[in-house]
Amino acid sequence: MRGLHVYVVLALAVFILASGNRLNEYVMHVAIIAMFYAMMAASWSLLSGYAGLFSLGHMAFASLGGYTSALLVQWSGVPVPVGMAAAVVLTALGGGAIGWVCLRMSGPYLAIFTLALSEILRIGLSTESQVTAGMAGLHTTPLFHSRSDLPYYYTAFAMLVASLAIMGGIVHSRWGLFFRAIREDEQAAAASGVDVVRFKITAFAVASSFAGLAGAFYAHYIGILTPSLGSLDLMGLVVAMTIIGGLESIPAAVGGAAGVETLQEVLRSYAQWRLVLFGVILLVVMRFARNGLLAPLWHQLVCVKVGGLPRLGRHVPQEESRL
Amino acid sequence: MEYALIQATNGAVIGIIYALIAVGVTLIFSILKIVNFAHGDLYMLGGYFSYYALTLLGVPPLGAIFVAIAASFTLGVILERLLLTPLYNETTERKDEYGLLITFGLAIALRNLAIIIFGPFPLRPTPVWSGAQRLGQLIVTNDRVFAGAAGIVLIISLLYFMHGTIWGQALDAVSQSRDAAAIVGINPRFFNSLGFGVGAALAGGAGALIAPVFTLAPDMGVLANIQAYVIVILGGMGSVLGSIIAGLVIGEAETLFTAFFPDPTRALAYSNAFGVLVLMIVLIVRPTGVFGRRHLRLE
Amino acid sequence: MTRDAALVEGKTLCKRFGGIVAVDAVEFAVQDGDLIGLIGPNGSGKTTLVNLLTGHLAPDSGHAFLRGRRMTGLPASDFAAQGVGRTFQLTQLFRRMTVLENMLVPGLTRPGSTRGAVERRARTYLTFLNLAHLEHLSAKNLSGGQQKLLELGRALMLEPAILFLDEPFAGVHPHLRDEIITRIQELHTAGRTFVVVDHDMESILRIARRLVVMARGRKIADGPPAQVRADQGVLTAYAGV
Repeated sequence: MRGLHVYVVLALAVFILASGNRLNEYVMHVAIIAMFYAMMAASWSLLSGYAGLFSLGHMAFASLGGYTSALLVQWSGVPVPVGMAAAVVLTALGGGAIGWVCLRMSGPYLAIFTLALSEILRIGLSTESQVTAGMAGLHTTPLFHSRSDLPYYYTAFAMLVASLAIMGGIVHSRWGLFFRAIREDEQAAAASGVDVVRFKITAFAVASSFAGLAGAFYAHYIGILTPSLGSLDLMGLVVAMTIIGGLESIPAAVGGAAGVETLQEVLRSYAQWRLVLFGVILLVVMRFARNGLLAPLWHQLVCVKVGGLPRLGRHVPQEESRL
Repeated sequence: MEYALIQATNGAVIGIIYALIAVGVTLIFSILKIVNFAHGDLYMLGGYFSYYALTLLGVPPLGAIFVAIAASFTLGVILERLLLTPLYNETTERKDEYGLLITFGLAIALRNLAIIIFGPFPLRPTPVWSGAQRLGQLIVTNDRVFAGAAGIVLIISLLYFMHGTIWGQALDAVSQSRDAAAIVGINPRFFNSLGFGVGAALAGGAGALIAPVFTLAPDMGVLANIQAYVIVILGGMGSVLGSIIAGLVIGEAETLFTAFFPDPTRALAYSNAFGVLVLMIVLIVRPTGVFGRRHLRLE
Repeated sequence: MTRDAALVEGKTLCKRFGGIVAVDAVEFAVQDGDLIGLIGPNGSGKTTLVNLLTGHLAPDSGHAFLRGRRMTGLPASDFAAQGVGRTFQLTQLFRRMTVLENMLVPGLTRPGSTRGAVERRARTYLTFLNLAHLEHLSAKNLSGGQQKLLELGRALMLEPAILFLDEPFAGVHPHLRDEIITRIQELHTAGRTFVVVDHDMESILRIARRLVVMARGRKIADGPPAQVRADQGVLTAYAGV
């Protein structure tokens, strides 16, 4: 007897895989970008919603991953997957370093620090244009040499699935409990034997490595990379996606990313208004539905058991452990 | 030598403006206990308020400054009532996360709204005082002189307000303890709105003063924001005097850094990074800031 | 590590905050099997001393020892891993996690623990504390007294040799207070060492074998209750403050 969510996810996965051949170029492109944002939102949710580390430098790590991979491939001629792997390693190390530096910083200070870091990186990438081609854009080696984006579509999907599987594994394990304990009350967590230092650093390293991987994929998919990948507006978009979907639930965050990205494309003609809209929706959700719009829905899916009698008796929302 | 003096004078003006912005951040932090991530955008909007008061309402330049301050104050109060009241609710958990995320969302909304309404191209309102002053070898443009002088006036008015008036002292009381203040009859709701409004007014005023000197652009708030945090953390979160002094220091240091940085093509870009680097170093060395304090102090 | 080393020992511990000396050259030793009541007027430094002995604060000078091993400067999680459990003056539960999850966190920090075994152990303790039926409730929805019991349970999951309880009776309904006293006594009989900080003299005197009195950051008395209660210095400290 499983929760309905399992079947929903499986159906969705089958649908995504089967549609590959039938999608036109534009829709496929949007889907790939949505999967990129899904990885970013999911990993940010892990970092902030679970471990309580509200880093505003998450997109900076995507940017770092992208440039690392692109430049490494360009300079040393290694195959793109090797470049991407290097990006993952570098962002994991960088994330761990930032986690260590930020150990004693409180919430807002950590946000300020990572925001500052993000801006410094963006300014640096922009200014050192001999190396990075700055705002003109760095041309990257494509991951696949194919006429259609189909291989990118399947790769993005595979990466997303693998990432979510890993993140889900972490969240359901004792690590997930430790992260949440740290967010709830760091002092009590320490008193309960949780090695706060180790887990904060780990959370940062893991989340940043997912961002780095996503960024590296993005770089070799889009074909041209600018420092705007690490801009505050895009960070804000990821924050909006995660909050609107559900800060404390990775599946909800993924849903939020897909939803907001779709909305972004549907409203393409409204250009700048879209960001205003997302900002306002973010404000409204924070003000009135702080857990997110999709999290309750996901929770319902989990609770409905299929293949037997539905669970009767005392069931109070949010009394069960979070998925 | 004159070059250094001119730059030092410019640095002083920038410093005064920074001090104004930072004092607003520190005030909001002491009273509402949150870091206002939208502060830079309130500064930006203040500049635009003064511009449109000039061009649309035909208000003279000096009046436009007052209009901007009043409009910023009003906007601050409205935003506080709409978005920040959960901060005073017992049942709201993780209040500092709430403050962070909601002001961050506000910043995104305001910035992009500004791009739509005001357009992305830089604008420049007429200065209150045109021309320039000449003191021996030193030439300073009058718009800077006015900005600096008016900034000083605003700061002194604020200090007088906080220290010498009953409302200012009530604000200090609320910053130290909402509950204790309520017990002695101070209405916390009123003073929270007042606190946020005054903070916004200071930011808007700073924007209005500096708008004629540098131009207005919708993203001018982003870097001002970061500079404000640098200053507030250096001067001590909650300390008004600390913000003033640190603001002057950072403004001066940043201007001189840009002026004397060996590579001119990089100078401007990295001058923005300068404050950021200082901030990062401070937070690494002292994660609670230089003189971290929770409530408002006036020494 | 010597065999007759005290279980927990603080040697000339000093801690100041700004201008205030919270703990002033305090010597404090806890032997296996002790049940110590740590008492004193408000502001005497009791909680600070507890924080120093559990790793939540590092002393300005002096050292903390666990079975002869110097622990000064190590993080609180190391103390916890070595068998030091504690509760807090104002309960610090993982509020939005369930009662069971609160118990699982410390249980799963122990090396070699498996989820199944830890859950079983957690449920045993929850039954002992009369909280088993609330297993799936969020900790924030418990009553004040239940929260105190849960915090005790959470500390117990570390299988601690010593438990520091900071004001376990504060603000607790008398009936529940008796329950807490009974639990402490049962655990003590089963072999655990306790240091209990509280102002509730009646409860402390019911359980304590030894009283340690602090005033203004200094230890002013240390011995059996009858002796300490007759101590002139103690009476002055309480009356004079």
